[in-house]
Amino acid sequence: MPENINEFYRNLPDAIAGWKKADPPDFYTPANLSTYIDGGAELYISYDFRNALSVKYTDAARNEIAVDIFEMGSAPDAFGVFAHSRETIDDRFGQGCEYAAGLLTFWKDRYYVSILAYPETAAKREVVFELARSIAGGIGNKGALPPIIALLPAENLLPATVRYFHHYIWLNSFYFVSHENVLNIGNDTPAALGKYRQDGPAFFLLLVRYPDAARAEAADRQFRQKLLEGAEEGMRPTKEGRWTGLERRGDLICVVFNAPDAQTVRAVFARIKS
Amino acid sequence: MKPGRPISRRQFIRSASAAAIGTSLLFSGQEMTAPAGRSRVVLVRDPNVLDENGNPRYAVVEEMLDTGIKALTGKPDPQTAWKTIIRPDDIVGIKNNRWSYLRTTAEVENYFKKRILEVGVKEANISVDDLGVLRNPIFQKATALINARPMRSHHWAGVGSLIKNYIMFIPEPISIHPDSCADLASIWDLPVVKGKTRLNVLVMFTPQFHSFGPHSFNPKYVWKYHGLMLGFDPVAVDATGLRIIEGIRREYFAEDRPLNPPAKHIAIADTKYHLGTADPAKIELVKVGYDKESFV
Repeated sequence: MPENINEFYRNLPDAIAGWKKADPPDFYTPANLSTYIDGGAELYISYDFRNALSVKYTDAARNEIAVDIFEMGSAPDAFGVFAHSRETIDDRFGQGCEYAAGLLTFWKDRYYVSILAYPETAAKREVVFELARSIAGGIGNKGALPPIIALLPAENLLPATVRYFHHYIWLNSFYFVSHENVLNIGNDTPAALGKYRQDGPAFFLLLVRYPDAARAEAADRQFRQKLLEGAEEGMRPTKEGRWTGLERRGDLICVVFNAPDAQTVRAVFARIKS
Repeated sequence: MKPGRPISRRQFIRSASAAAIGTSLLFSGQEMTAPAGRSRVVLVRDPNVLDENGNPRYAVVEEMLDTGIKALTGKPDPQTAWKTIIRPDDIVGIKNNRWSYLRTTAEVENYFKKRILEVGVKEANISVDDLGVLRNPIFQKATALINARPMRSHHWAGVGSLIKNYIMFIPEPISIHPDSCADLASIWDLPVVKGKTRLNVLVMFTPQFHSFGPHSFNPKYVWKYHGLMLGFDPVAVDATGLRIIEGIRREYFAEDRPLNPPAKHIAIADTKYHLGTADPAKIELVKVGYDKESFV
């Protein structure tokens, strides 16, 4: 188990199937991550990014495979940044991975890993997978999933759509809610979002845990005022005829978006175990 | 990647009758909404623009841009059209985008240089740049800017847009990042660019409609759209490009799948900064050429 991110570089194989580890690696912190992934850095910073190691492998023709290892503040954050845009459930590497056209991403413990080999070839894909096995094998611990995602009822939940975040920008991940931080989401308010399949359009369930009931109540008030126009029961139809509903349980706020009717909203709330 | 459907060159529609209305927009402030209250956006598509390796064919790019500039200006030939945009004594900065996975492309940049030289601008007074614009002497004293880039999904701004392409005109680009780059349009009011943009071109040969991973690119999520969009109003062009990206996402994912995060900076460029219009009702969209799966 690496004690710090530098150890990954030492542990990575020097050569693999004709690809040699280039020297030296690059290291990034929140202060300079944007020099490496300009425009993408904020996504990582919003998940408590700590530092990153970037290692290149090159072959005789100077083709490149880029290995990027991100150390996040916690395992839930590593899961969150991984799940941010995943499309499928795939457990071949780490605690969950996604592979498409030469790019593999996976998470394990507090690490999020990207191995990129464009353009994709069958031979390069094998090298990518071998590197992934090496990196994942070097991380001894499995990280805990964010506790709040366990509260999402499993019935009709599309597992690949489960998201975890604590920055309001990601509130609109599947369904446009607001340009504003209408639920006062911040670093101390873990949130989970999932998409539910049914006949007709999908609906969405958002859960936000606040440090205390007073903070949750304030968010409840704001949401009802701004998006529910003060609807007494905490739910109202949109102009498209879909239903939005909010329920607060102490320090937990539950919001259903895009439900077909009020009955569905109530049924979803009833299935949440808090 | 979804392949485009081939059509013959003869099927390429050359008429731009909808653009027959002339324009009087000249030389400055062209990023503002046209006086008539509608912003013209020209979409030109040709399925032959990419070769078998996915690289742009210069001859087709030139024909598309010539067609587009005629439709945009209402002028009968590209040379006359360019004379309404650029003066011989202009100092011209061509602001491109050099993101390694999806570039403005040399073909588009070389077209600009060719037509600008034809207007009579000295070669020494033309420069193409992206990251170095603030240090580039031509951009420092530019009297005219051409703004051209591809549209792509973006982890923080929703999309990489024409509005966003000017982010390198501020010394600390990261300073504009809060709230998912909501205030990008404020850059357009800085003296280094204000009133100088003569033409905006959104390169839609292979727009990227979704991304994952730290490098924000995956060839699985680019779409062979074979298009170019031209306009004087960057907000109108971006808003139309955004509709195309959203349409591609609907087609690919077989459901409404909003960009995450939403590209709010485009709407805010209209409603807060009045840089142009994002309202489709105020955009005159002129489509020229191949129109299958245009999504607008």
